[in-house]
Amino acid sequence: MEMTPAISVRNLKFCYPDGKEALRGVSFEIADKECVGLVGPNGSGKSTLLLHLNGILPESFPGVPAVSIYGKDLSRTTAPDIRRAVGLLFQDPDDQLFCPTVFEDVAFGPQQFGLSEEEIRKTVSYALEQTSLTGSEHRSPHHLSSGEKRRVCLAGVLACEPQVLALDEPTSNLDPRGKRQLITTLQSIPATKLIATHDLEMVVQLCSRTILLDRGTIVADGPTHILLGDEQLMLAHGLEKPHILRHLHPH
Amino acid sequence: MRHDFLDRYSRLKSPVHRLHTAVKLATAICVIVAMVAVPFSSAWFFVVAAGLLLIVSALSAIPWSFIFKRLLLLEPLALGIAVMALFQPNGTMIFLSIVTKSTLCLFTVILLSNTTPFGELLGVLSRIGVPRILITILALMYRYLFVLIDEGERLARARMSRTFSANRVRRWQALASLIGQLFVRSTERAERIYAAMTARGWK
Amino acid sequence: MHIPDGFLDAKTAGATAAFSLVGLGLSLRHASRYLPARKIPLIGLAAAFVFVAQMLNFPVASGTSGHLLGATLAAVMLGPSAAIIVMSTVLIVQALLFADGGILSLGANVFNMAIVGPMAGYGSYRLMRVVFRGEYGRLVAVGVASWFSTVVAAIFCAGELAWSGTVPWNSAFPAMAGVHMATGLGEATITMLVIASIARARPELLNDSNPAASLRERSTGFVLVALLVIGLLLLVAPHASNLPDGLEKVASSLGFEHRALTNPNVSAPLEAYKLPGTASTSAATIVAGLIGAIAVLALSMVLARVLVPRNRAVPPQQREGTV
Repeated sequence: MEMTPAISVRNLKFCYPDGKEALRGVSFEIADKECVGLVGPNGSGKSTLLLHLNGILPESFPGVPAVSIYGKDLSRTTAPDIRRAVGLLFQDPDDQLFCPTVFEDVAFGPQQFGLSEEEIRKTVSYALEQTSLTGSEHRSPHHLSSGEKRRVCLAGVLACEPQVLALDEPTSNLDPRGKRQLITTLQSIPATKLIATHDLEMVVQLCSRTILLDRGTIVADGPTHILLGDEQLMLAHGLEKPHILRHLHPH
Repeated sequence: MRHDFLDRYSRLKSPVHRLHTAVKLATAICVIVAMVAVPFSSAWFFVVAAGLLLIVSALSAIPWSFIFKRLLLLEPLALGIAVMALFQPNGTMIFLSIVTKSTLCLFTVILLSNTTPFGELLGVLSRIGVPRILITILALMYRYLFVLIDEGERLARARMSRTFSANRVRRWQALASLIGQLFVRSTERAERIYAAMTARGWK
Repeated sequence: MHIPDGFLDAKTAGATAAFSLVGLGLSLRHASRYLPARKIPLIGLAAAFVFVAQMLNFPVASGTSGHLLGATLAAVMLGPSAAIIVMSTVLIVQALLFADGGILSLGANVFNMAIVGPMAGYGSYRLMRVVFRGEYGRLVAVGVASWFSTVVAAIFCAGELAWSGTVPWNSAFPAMAGVHMATGLGEATITMLVIASIARARPELLNDSNPAASLRERSTGFVLVALLVIGLLLLVAPHASNLPDGLEKVASSLGFEHRALTNPNVSAPLEAYKLPGTASTSAATIVAGLIGAIAVLALSMVLARVLVPRNRAVPPQQREGTV
């Protein structure tokens, strides 16, 4: 039985205004509830790809839709709805934490979607619970640590109750404890996940499948321990085989 | 978090802090209006007002040194303008009047701003009809003030480790260049913030 | 020149507050209608930026330091109506959070530094650009415009103090205008240096291509200019009647000493404090201003030439500070 893929990307191409080609015909599908890692060297187009999943890019949509979320094609008219379904976590938490208090920031999404005050309060509490931030409602963003800011951003995204989570470098700038907390939290969230990251150890822990992107094209797409365990492949694309896999018996 | 100076005491627990923001704002405005309206000749009024302000200040748990330092920072400008007032008939009286009134008003605003989180002030302002777009801009400005100060400090430190002359011309160039960099980074960050706001449904 | 509470009387505070409400209101309405949504975070960040930029100390003489106001910088980078919103936001936060500038006098401060400042700066910038072209010309225009906007804002400030009866015009005008002709030099220099550095790092942020403003934008502009003119008439013009007298006195300053007409009811000890020939100091200030303007133009041209040498176009260097 064919299930509609959660994310379907078909021959996605993208050029920046200055002419630089960022994505050169990327195609892949991700099934419901799958957790996929997106790895690649700097400049490979990972962040750009994520920005295409909820319509922030491109600025003007081409005739042929290249992205579908649960069967719905992404276009100018469907973008607002798709933004509810796809939660995007940005690289720099300061860019995403733009309200004066934690509560207001987490409530931002639900407010934009028109929920009632009561519903907003419930959604916010639940999101804060999921990210272990209950009690921090009235704190100001600039009093938070790096890890806490990340968790507030995640809470803000979770409050929109997305079916797909797209995360851009979620563990960057986190100390080991922060990383552990984040990984545990992510494991407990049932949504479909696509995680763009340099943290290959996390990919091994969380993602059953990995996509390797380099210079705007998909170089490899397969089970994590095989793809990341291929030392030659990793080195050829500016990466390294993660330590966790070094002790495994090579295939 | 040295930029705490903007916000260090607005979240203390004291009877004054606990008062509703609208009450504090309205009271502060009434006090200021009264200060300006009441003629200086009714000296008793100002003595009573000063006394009340001191009591509120004591209740608010804000350190006296902090209040004193803030006042000291702001007085010179007031004095500078006030000095010009001396050169007119009845100048000394006018001088004393405006110095007293402005100092007491300063004290009032210092108390207000340090017992109220800015976000709540904005909440009250939006309820009394200040346009939504201005509230959004004020909120964004306040939020990113700290981020920009941090960024500015980092840029300054990086620059300082490459600057060897105390030459005043060089300093001006370095500072101007810093300002330029900060502006460019601000525009880039603004784009990313817009993307983040749009991603959660903002129109 | 943040005016604290207690310096302005009710009518002045009220009138300037009304002007500011109209001016800011118009700019906000203009922004919410014609500004694309993506520019709103930019305005918020620009306000934070101006605030931080104002905090930086530019060393002048031992102990003293100058600061940037930023009205013209904002107007040139973002356009006048956005600059009005940016500067107003900065002043509101300064007043509410810092007591830098009074609450009741916020209307006057906004009018001077957030409306008059950017408009005088932008207007004079565009005028100068007609004559001074290219990168070099842009810097010259920016320099003169920054100086001009600072001085004009100070004049309005003096007018408000005088209308309130706090400080007589004949003290306020020379003092405020005089001091700000000096600080305006700093503003001009800093603004020129900043624009030059942005032009080197990201020239595309400085686009001078301003297509003929749409009719709606023009009408907002007209009302704002009208506000300025009314303000001028209300606050400054009444004192112009002293001028013919003053000018005469400046011209005939050689020879016998002229005592300014004094109020016969004034108490004797204060006579000694009165500035001699006060009516003429206003005129002298104006003369100084004209000379100052020419001097600023010359200095701007020199600095601009240093920043943009004639024989080579400034090559787009590597972006400063990026990896």
